[in-house]
Amino acid sequence: MSERPGDSMESLYPFLYSGATDLEAVLTSVRASTVEKANEIVALRRAVLERDGDRLAACAWAMAGAFSRGARLFAFGNGGSSTDAQDVAALFLHPGAGARPLPAFALTADVAVVTALANDIGFEVVFARQIAASGRPGDIAFGLSTSGNSRNLIAAFREADRRGMVTVGLAGYDGGQMAELGTIDHLFVVPSTSVHRIQEAQTTVYHALWELTQDALAGSTYAGTSRGW
Amino acid sequence: MDQSALATVGEVFARRARPACGLARDADAVARACHAMATRFHDGGRLIVFGDGEAATDAQHIAVEFVHPVIVGKRALPSFSLTGDVATITGVAAESGFDEVFAHQIRHLAVPQDMALGVSPHGECRNVLRALETAKAMGLLTLALTGGDGGAIARSPSVDHALVVRSGDPRVIKEVHVTTYHILWELVHVFFEQPGVLGPRVVA
Repeated sequence: MSERPGDSMESLYPFLYSGATDLEAVLTSVRASTVEKANEIVALRRAVLERDGDRLAACAWAMAGAFSRGARLFAFGNGGSSTDAQDVAALFLHPGAGARPLPAFALTADVAVVTALANDIGFEVVFARQIAASGRPGDIAFGLSTSGNSRNLIAAFREADRRGMVTVGLAGYDGGQMAELGTIDHLFVVPSTSVHRIQEAQTTVYHALWELTQDALAGSTYAGTSRGW
Repeated sequence: MDQSALATVGEVFARRARPACGLARDADAVARACHAMATRFHDGGRLIVFGDGEAATDAQHIAVEFVHPVIVGKRALPSFSLTGDVATITGVAAESGFDEVFAHQIRHLAVPQDMALGVSPHGECRNVLRALETAKAMGLLTLALTGGDGGAIARSPSVDHALVVRSGDPRVIKEVHVTTYHILWELVHVFFEQPGVLGPRVVA
């Protein structure tokens, strides 16, 4: 290690080097902050359920129907939401014992494809081009954003709509451009302005969609038309 | 949509409430972990994160949280995930077995002032435990996010700070982990903003 990232801390944070503060006082305020945030996310999940509970059930029903007809799921998002996209794909594809593996891809996982598209054309197309290449009518496009304004997500949802895919969008704030598009079949907007709380509630939303999709596929309605996954 | 489906959605959401509230009861453990992390960052340490399966995505989420904060004006802090390099992971796994995957990277990428944070919903991932043991032996600060009864990882003497979500559902555990690491990030910065709380070196 020739250079340590903390070398410049003293110049960036001179106040850290000037006098003592009561550690117990800071710990007390930090503990209160944790309690406050735990209460916030519990209340936010309740708000999501009240607002979108019936639409979540309908979406899961539609996804189960799509899977039973041979759909694949394509998940995408940027930054923290890219990790959610990969979580969605992993959860559907490898759900563990007792659950049914379903075909799902994360469009964020192949660095060769993502960097090729970003370098040659632009970052706006990194998901849309993959959907254009691989998406078929009836497949599921599953995009996650906190702002609802990511341009590469908007482009991907437009492409998915053109191709007749089932589109599922998770957003926050007021839904942003994802809401303005008006074409996303199942759009869930987490009513919060905190990126962190939005992501936490979105995690519950996709976990609920997965569980309800599994339940719907396990029911008699779709079991007879399964393709044997 | 019929009412039975609606009730199911409600049930799925209801299952989340108690474990999420449980985090509030762990506020002291969270505060102490954040203080230890802030002290390490202040001394030049880096946060190294790892986990299997869906927890691999949490590892990457934690790293991006610290490196590229969502709140404008917060400083970027050094962090990286061990789950992003598929070539190394598959290479180590093929040659030495999967249990060695993260331990190998810790051994060759970490320095003693760093931090190792393992994410394991049931607390039994052997490669995560082995990496934490390796990290502890090297002098790193070791932290774990687990669930259930905490598993072998939470019980390990090699883990300095174990935060355990009391739930048996891996998806519910994950959701509380997401809130936990968002709070870890935020509170590390709170400590940075308070003068004099990051150890003797700071005020010397």
